[in-house]
Amino acid sequence: MTKRGAFVAALTVAVSVLLSSCALDIPRDPNGTLDRVRGGILRVAVSHNPPFTDALGEGDPTGTEVEIVRAFAEKLDAAVEFTLGGEESLVEDMHLGKHDLLIGGLTDKSPWFDKVALTGPYLTVDDPEGTERNIVMAVPLGENDLLFELEDFLQRSKATG
Amino acid sequence: MTVKFGATELEPRQEEALRRAKRIEIATIAFLVCAISAVYLVMGNSQAMKAAWLEDCLSLAPPVAFLIAVRLVRRAPSARFPYGYHRAIGISHLVAGVALLTMGFFLIYDSLTGLLRAEHPPIGSVHIAGNTVWLGWLMIGVMALTIPLPIYFGRVKMKLAEELHDKVLFADADMNKADWMTAVGSIVGVAGIGLGVWWLDSAAALFIAASILSDGIKNVRHAIVDLIDSRATTFDNKSPHPLTVDVAQHLCSLEWVQSAACRVRDEGHVFHVEAFVVPIDRVAISVADLEAARDSCRELDWKIHDVVIVPVSELPPELFDLLERGAPGGESGREEHQSRGER
Repeated sequence: MTKRGAFVAALTVAVSVLLSSCALDIPRDPNGTLDRVRGGILRVAVSHNPPFTDALGEGDPTGTEVEIVRAFAEKLDAAVEFTLGGEESLVEDMHLGKHDLLIGGLTDKSPWFDKVALTGPYLTVDDPEGTERNIVMAVPLGENDLLFELEDFLQRSKATG
Repeated sequence: MTVKFGATELEPRQEEALRRAKRIEIATIAFLVCAISAVYLVMGNSQAMKAAWLEDCLSLAPPVAFLIAVRLVRRAPSARFPYGYHRAIGISHLVAGVALLTMGFFLIYDSLTGLLRAEHPPIGSVHIAGNTVWLGWLMIGVMALTIPLPIYFGRVKMKLAEELHDKVLFADADMNKADWMTAVGSIVGVAGIGLGVWWLDSAAALFIAASILSDGIKNVRHAIVDLIDSRATTFDNKSPHPLTVDVAQHLCSLEWVQSAACRVRDEGHVFHVEAFVVPIDRVAISVADLEAARDSCRELDWKIHDVVIVPVSELPPELFDLLERGAPGGESGREEHQSRGER
């Protein structure tokens, strides 16, 4: 038992040393997405879903989420590159690593939760039937630094209105 | 009032151990209810966290089984249940073992598929008082809180299991070990995710799963072996129980007995002893002698109460092993018997 106790103590120390020594850059992205995006290009997948996204017009898409994403990219000092498409094919492509961010009025009830990482809800709206819907965005699965950065940004912009 | 297991009166030591065991099992349930709620709140998408949560849920089985069983076994034997209700312990042991086994299988499947599919677990954040906090820190915090108590519970239960000869407590102590190991594994896994090492989560879960699975297999095997009336063993099923030999030796030492051997089965806490004795004078055996022999056997240990003494002209052949070493021979004889038993 004392052996076991010592093992736990050693492990706890090891883990806490490990964590505190790099606490500042936790969480990290396994594929380094956020590091690549900073000062680079944010590849945004847009599925048409007004008023969040409107991809029917000429040129770049418009919509509330498009504006949020532009501001987010600005904060990261990144240029935005839009790809338009259907939600499902965009999700598949994101799973393959072709996009960094997916928008289109996704909700926290999205069936894609095991293919992409959903952010926490940043907005609650009533749909025409009067049901509450929690609006989220999506980033590649496991890119937790990007997820953290985006959630932080969404919460802050919500707080400041 | 003396506490009884069926017809068996407990000695003060066992009575105290039983009281403590009940208290610690209730404490375990209270702790688990808190842990299950807390872990559920911060669980998120981590494989290892999900595993830890499920493990906590399954850990409820042994303490609940124990509390039900110790209530049942106190009932006195009746016409319908002439052996008493002691086997409730065996059934609880099986329940606890199956809980461990299920846990192990589920964990191995879950973490292995996660690893093979190269799932990158996402862990988001929560917004607390204007600050965004990575959920991983909360997970690590909650899991760290669930480590110390199971270690303590497990240690105490292991001691009480020996005192009470209670295999449910023994399995539960194993379960507590699985509990805190899972917690450590989850911390390693979540820390791994934080550092961008996505596979560490599943790998940690897999590692823990292997240990839980082996505990499960061990306990299920022991429970089944006990339920098919294998010879009585020590509380951890590691070796044959010395009382089997002690009873035979004691009977051999009686002046009217030529040779003796016994079958002892573990009813759960208490033993059921069938002793076969070959009297020196096969014509004149008195009932008083037999009753005195039975009573003196009961004196040997609190676990021995239900004793049947059968005078025979020849000992049952399957008990010859015991007989050969049955003459007072001390420890070396006991070991020799063990090694024979292993074959």
